[in-house]
Amino acid sequence: MNLVEKILARASGRTSVEPGEIVIAGVDRLLMHDLSGYLTSEVYEKRVGRPIPDPERVVMVFDHHFSPPTERQADILQHNRAWARGHGITLMDCGSGNLHHAAVRGGHVRPGMIVVGSDSHTPVHGSLGALAVALGNDSHAGTVLPYGKAWFRVPETVRIELHGAPRPGTTPRDIALWLCAEIGEGALNYKALEFTGPYVKQASFWDRWLFPLLTVDLGAKCGFVEPDEVTEAFLRTLPGGAGPQGDPLLRGDGAQDAASVLRYDISEVPPQVACPPTVGNTKAVADAAGARVGWAELGGHGGGRLEDIRAAAEVLDGRRVHPDTRLNIVPSSREVFAEALREGLVASLHEAGATWFPPSTGSNQAINMGALSAGEAMICTHSRNFPGRNGSTEAGVYLASAATVAASAAAGEIAGAPAGSERRAA
Amino acid sequence: MGGTTGIQGGPDGKTGSRFEGPCWTFGDNIPTDQLIKSRYVFDPMDVIVQHVLEDMDPEFPRQVEPGDVVVAGRHFGQSSGRAIAAKALQATRIGCVLAESFARTFYRNCFEIGLPAMEVEGITELARKGDRLAVDITTGTVTNTATGESRVGRPADPFLVEMLAAGGLIALAEQRPELFA
Repeated sequence: MNLVEKILARASGRTSVEPGEIVIAGVDRLLMHDLSGYLTSEVYEKRVGRPIPDPERVVMVFDHHFSPPTERQADILQHNRAWARGHGITLMDCGSGNLHHAAVRGGHVRPGMIVVGSDSHTPVHGSLGALAVALGNDSHAGTVLPYGKAWFRVPETVRIELHGAPRPGTTPRDIALWLCAEIGEGALNYKALEFTGPYVKQASFWDRWLFPLLTVDLGAKCGFVEPDEVTEAFLRTLPGGAGPQGDPLLRGDGAQDAASVLRYDISEVPPQVACPPTVGNTKAVADAAGARVGWAELGGHGGGRLEDIRAAAEVLDGRRVHPDTRLNIVPSSREVFAEALREGLVASLHEAGATWFPPSTGSNQAINMGALSAGEAMICTHSRNFPGRNGSTEAGVYLASAATVAASAAAGEIAGAPAGSERRAA
Repeated sequence: MGGTTGIQGGPDGKTGSRFEGPCWTFGDNIPTDQLIKSRYVFDPMDVIVQHVLEDMDPEFPRQVEPGDVVVAGRHFGQSSGRAIAAKALQATRIGCVLAESFARTFYRNCFEIGLPAMEVEGITELARKGDRLAVDITTGTVTNTATGESRVGRPADPFLVEMLAAGGLIALAEQRPELFA
């Protein structure tokens, strides 16, 4: 069995499971944000209403409304607060950061766990070796909250091996965008994706993060990286440390436990930009260069990491944000902002003309900020660029690495990072 | 179970696993954000239903009728996992939704809320907007009643069929709590 099968077997009280079977398994974490949490609470209170036996397993993070812009949205947050407190659910209020980053930073996700949430990027927690799956609100209201369980169809696993050393200036974010186009949006429907190979295994935890993040774009159920010494070292930095002694990290049985293997050589991939209208519509940055961008943003599930902020500071060292462009920086968590302060990155990027936003999900869906007018364009580290995602359906959203976002902010148009400025770029 | 009785979602209260009605057609990779824009998700369903798929076909929310069949291309319902997109579609009282393929959370949501869904390879070639389709989601058969042409889709797993018959996941959990206890 591979990691996903072992987790599902353990959590459903079985010795083994086979792809295609349906099992009912215990859930370790339910992650909700202020939107999905509200919708789930409505279904739960109206149609279920039983006690929640393990509320400490439920984590709610307010990240879309970091400061409610309307009375109605303030009402939604008040509803969520009352609901979470009434049931004893763990609540991380406005300013904690982006749902997924805040949950990891808070020590709420561990290898071998089953993690669910309605946010479609919930599979990103496979970066830690958890089985992380996006389920709908009715799953959460109907079985996860009252019973601590969910049903799962055991997926076939596709192993994605990445080989080779990247070109100078090509970051893991570029490789992830390229891979999405190479494999094809929706091409791995219902599969579990194991990201591995020398390129992934040598990557830091937060660089690995960018691969399970694209699971939803490929149509897959979940994506994961097998836990190893990189994972263990990262766990030691979190509240709770490396977890209980004597609970070895689950790993798969090896070569024969995936249904198929896809191998890619990443050594010739140049920096990428995903152009409108979808994540898989990628081009080399050089081929998209010159397109006007009025907005640039480091934030979202894919960005606002410390690695992104360092990369932007390096690219903007001695340069300024273009007068016709606004660069917004959204730390993914309070911990990232604190570290950016300690490293002097907050001052240097402020002086370069960037604007700091509170830790949150940033302009994602333009709920709190960052709506685009028709004809405007934004380049960002977000994970979505569908038409109408942030305001007008006639606005354009481009997705790129932090280095490319910062270089484009300085140029006022899509531009690659200057040679040598991206040494530490993530 | 896999029987042919009791599946909800039929037009005007008629239940069963068979549906017949004119179809609406949509393309590939339609995200949940375009099924229902996020600015409507907190509105009452009678407001939401006036905006379903409006950017893809403005006639759809105004003219869709109970029992109609929705046909889409590949990866229908990608993007958000929020069930509200499937609920918005269900609120139009369509009979069922057919697609070349579905985003997996959307497909799951359809069954969990009691909206019949089926993957049918070649469905976008078979069905033109307004064509009348006869669908049997137990056998997987879809027939264009004007041309007589048919396709065979992939019927849902028996567990999902049982969930549909119960009226969705919450109803199933109420009827069979031992499954989740």
